Amino acid sequence: MTAIPDTSPALPNRLSPGALAALITLLVGAACIALEPAFAWLVKWPAAWTFPATDWVGAVLEAVLGALKPFARMLASLLRYPMDGAHFVLTRTPWPLVIGVTTALGWYLGGLRMALLGALGLGFVLASGYWIESMTTLSLVAVSVPLALMMGGAIGILANEVPRVKSAVQVLLDVMQTVPTFAYLTPLLLLFGFGPVVGLIASAIYAAPPMARNVMLGLERVEPEIKEAAVMAGGTRFQQLFQVEIPSAASQIMVGVNQCLMAALSMVIIAAVIGGFNDIGWEVLLTMRKAQFGAALLAGLVIVVFAIVIDRMSGALAIERKRHDPRIAYGVLAVSVLVTLVFWGRLPDPSGFALLDPTADAVDAGLTAFTVASGAWLDSVKNGAMFYVLLPLRIGLDQAVLPFTWGFMWTPTMSLWLFAAGAAAGLVLIARGSVVGGLLLMIAVGILETGIANLPWPFVLTGTAALCWIAGGRKLALISVLLLLTILLSGLWERALLSLYLSGAAVFACAVLGGAIGLLCAVSPWAWRIVRPICDMLQTIPLFVFLIPVLMFFQIGEFSAFLAICAYAIVPMIRYTRFGLVSTPDDLIEAATASGATSVQIMKDIRIPYATPSLLLGLNQTILYAFSMLVIAALIGTTGLGQSIYLALGQADVGLGVSAGAAMAILAMIADRIVQGFAEERRKALGL
Amino acid sequence: MKHVKLAIVATLLSSTAYAADMGDVGTPIKLAVNEWTGQHVSTYVAGEMLKVAGYEVEYVTAGYMNMYQAMADGEIHGAMEIWSSNVSDDYAKKVEAGGVVELGDLGLDAKEGIAYPAHVADMCPGLPAWEALKDCAQAFATAETIPMGRLVDYPADWGTPGADRMTGLALPFKAVPAGSEGALIAELRASTERKSPLLITFWQPHWAMSAYDVQFVDLPVGEEACFNDPAWGPNPNAVNDCDFAPSRIFKAGWSGIEETWPAAYEILTNYTLSVEAQQPMMGAVDVDGGKVQEVVAAWMAENESSWRPIVDAATR
Repeated sequence: MTAIPDTSPALPNRLSPGALAALITLLVGAACIALEPAFAWLVKWPAAWTFPATDWVGAVLEAVLGALKPFARMLASLLRYPMDGAHFVLTRTPWPLVIGVTTALGWYLGGLRMALLGALGLGFVLASGYWIESMTTLSLVAVSVPLALMMGGAIGILANEVPRVKSAVQVLLDVMQTVPTFAYLTPLLLLFGFGPVVGLIASAIYAAPPMARNVMLGLERVEPEIKEAAVMAGGTRFQQLFQVEIPSAASQIMVGVNQCLMAALSMVIIAAVIGGFNDIGWEVLLTMRKAQFGAALLAGLVIVVFAIVIDRMSGALAIERKRHDPRIAYGVLAVSVLVTLVFWGRLPDPSGFALLDPTADAVDAGLTAFTVASGAWLDSVKNGAMFYVLLPLRIGLDQAVLPFTWGFMWTPTMSLWLFAAGAAAGLVLIARGSVVGGLLLMIAVGILETGIANLPWPFVLTGTAALCWIAGGRKLALISVLLLLTILLSGLWERALLSLYLSGAAVFACAVLGGAIGLLCAVSPWAWRIVRPICDMLQTIPLFVFLIPVLMFFQIGEFSAFLAICAYAIVPMIRYTRFGLVSTPDDLIEAATASGATSVQIMKDIRIPYATPSLLLGLNQTILYAFSMLVIAALIGTTGLGQSIYLALGQADVGLGVSAGAAMAILAMIADRIVQGFAEERRKALGL
Repeated sequence: MKHVKLAIVATLLSSTAYAADMGDVGTPIKLAVNEWTGQHVSTYVAGEMLKVAGYEVEYVTAGYMNMYQAMADGEIHGAMEIWSSNVSDDYAKKVEAGGVVELGDLGLDAKEGIAYPAHVADMCPGLPAWEALKDCAQAFATAETIPMGRLVDYPADWGTPGADRMTGLALPFKAVPAGSEGALIAELRASTERKSPLLITFWQPHWAMSAYDVQFVDLPVGEEACFNDPAWGPNPNAVNDCDFAPSRIFKAGWSGIEETWPAAYEILTNYTLSVEAQQPMMGAVDVDGGKVQEVVAAWMAENESSWRPIVDAATR
């Protein structure tokens, strides 16, 4: 940090803040590389300098949890009632009746299309033979969603009524969404005891934030005139809120309800890890354990079907539109009641259906055939990606370039040449006026030579501080550095860097590839028609299912984990890119067309700049998704924080689980704030 | 081991001496159903025995690693198949705190070891002798491990027995943790289908042993000295230069069973199941697609002599 007074007088005053930040980072990095041979502690934080923080966290938490336990146990037994009730109703109701009610509701909300969706969707569930398991899953969702809605709604209203707590609430919501659920399963087990209630609470914690965010946004956006009218009518604050403001924010709140439902469904698999009742997630785990891809995919698709039906129906509920003729809905209901009564006692057992088993077997056989036929080129894809991309990124060119990977040995002389070339290219860029670009190029060359897992910690701290300072000012920089220091001191630094490397590589790949696919979908509606259902599936199917084929193609290791993370994290990038590009205001495009711009020019000069905030939001979501996937990637044998969380879950180590989860949340939140800072700047520049 | 066997004989003798009280017959006994088929078989056999004795039994799905808190709380009453090689630290903590008690050996004769699908023998001449691995590590090398060979080890939370063997025997292999059992099976499946090389840490009884024709590498037979004394065994400089320490498979349960259901406690403690009985049932479920309940019911009807005496001894 003492570099600032030394350098600033030497350079002219026109150095922009960005260039200054990059320069400081570069100097710190260069100093670290130069001093590294003499001072090993620059790269490897000595174990003697760490605190047994995970043990402390464990001890404190266990004391706190012990004190809360009686209260939590009472709550758990209270929650058992609605849950057992819902379970009883859903599993005992004859299946024609359940299908009938869903179809009737579908008709009422969205006409023929929605009715068909309901009937076909539940028909698929019935044919799969997982009816009872699915209804058990639904009973969990049926209780966790109202709980999440109440929690989220209360948090949102609180933040709206007491503006002072707003920023604290934002942090709380971020924590709820970024700390991986696996990290707090052990404490939840201690608190609430064994059984589905733990899964229920975990999924409610994860599903509440979208509701809270939408309530806050909705209430914020209520027109001032409406608020004033309510004040003038003489209503109490309570009346204003519940009779005027909340109803006028209804459509935004309904978006929150929809998102909350989807989030709760995506957590179903987590509830199964603990066990306690026989649900569809448990089936996915059992089949996954036997590496039966066909069967696991079938069970996973049942969850996807639920997600799509619930998403489309609650989405229709959010849009206030004319409802369809209720008489037909009653008709459908009457038919299903009739069918149930006529065949009473003779209805086939819903678990007996196995119509889709041959399909599952065929999928499995197809997987085998493909693996056998393409073994050779799959191996070469994997080796290429490992040797030339992933390994250099992780341990740097100086360690990854070996005779049996690249065909020759990396020498210190080569490092010097690489640095010289990087410096020369950077200087050329600076001479041509792009100071920041030139400096960033030099930094990138340095990182490539060293490798992300071997980055000296002073460099990481300075680099993060510099980025935060540019994106969000001094306060953000200070907080980020403090948070990173806690990771450093708790001894989780090496694992955090490994996580950073893996998710960083995945985010980069997703940004490039997802951006390209999003662009294609924005230009061609046909492409979107194909890509959209794939995106829906990737977001709701339990990701465990995809681990099997990825493993069979590429074996245990980083490349498989990298692909699994990409499969999940690429979705928001595609969605937001497309959304940003298609939502350019028509008058802008018309004006450009009128002045004779080609469609390529319109894309380059108008649509892409206009879409930048949306693109950055997509990037931000991709980062968060990539981090949340790290824990699942640990199932295919990655190291890093994800593995620590999984280890802690197995060993019931509260301290390690929570600390590693917190470290992961810290990394995700810093990345999030940096991207949001840049997005805000762009929005201001565009005058939005 | 000798002491354990003596103890079993002792309990068998003592248990035949008197019939225990039935206890609280109205409350169902909850048995944990974990994530693998062998455990389902062991659990359902025990559960059906309890039913024959006159108890109500409930089968509760439970995560193998996370169930001990529930057991200490009395929400799960028994787990029939716990592997000493892969047991959560939480188990020892709960036993020490008094919430969980061990219920004796299940009697399954387990074997763990370094293994390979049969076709791999052609790629590394000299297998199953472990010395053969010294010279063909190159055949097992992959992008992550080059120039060393790759050994797929247990998931990190099960310990690192494979890596310990490689170090102990100074074999040029790098152990890669699998992450989950599903990942181990996927590796076996891919290797068998693609005829690609694979060295893996594995165990039996397991349905995959026969499904993928898995063979064990012959390692020097282990003695206590192998794990403590570097001088012992083929590598004079390291411990662990021998086969795996024998792992024990046992039963455990809530500490309140003995008081609540004395006869059930006796049945569960005396209950054993052999590999010869369990393995065909696993095959009937995993390979032939049968339902666990039906397979177990068929076996119990045919092999009444192997379980009926234990029930009778406790109840009559």
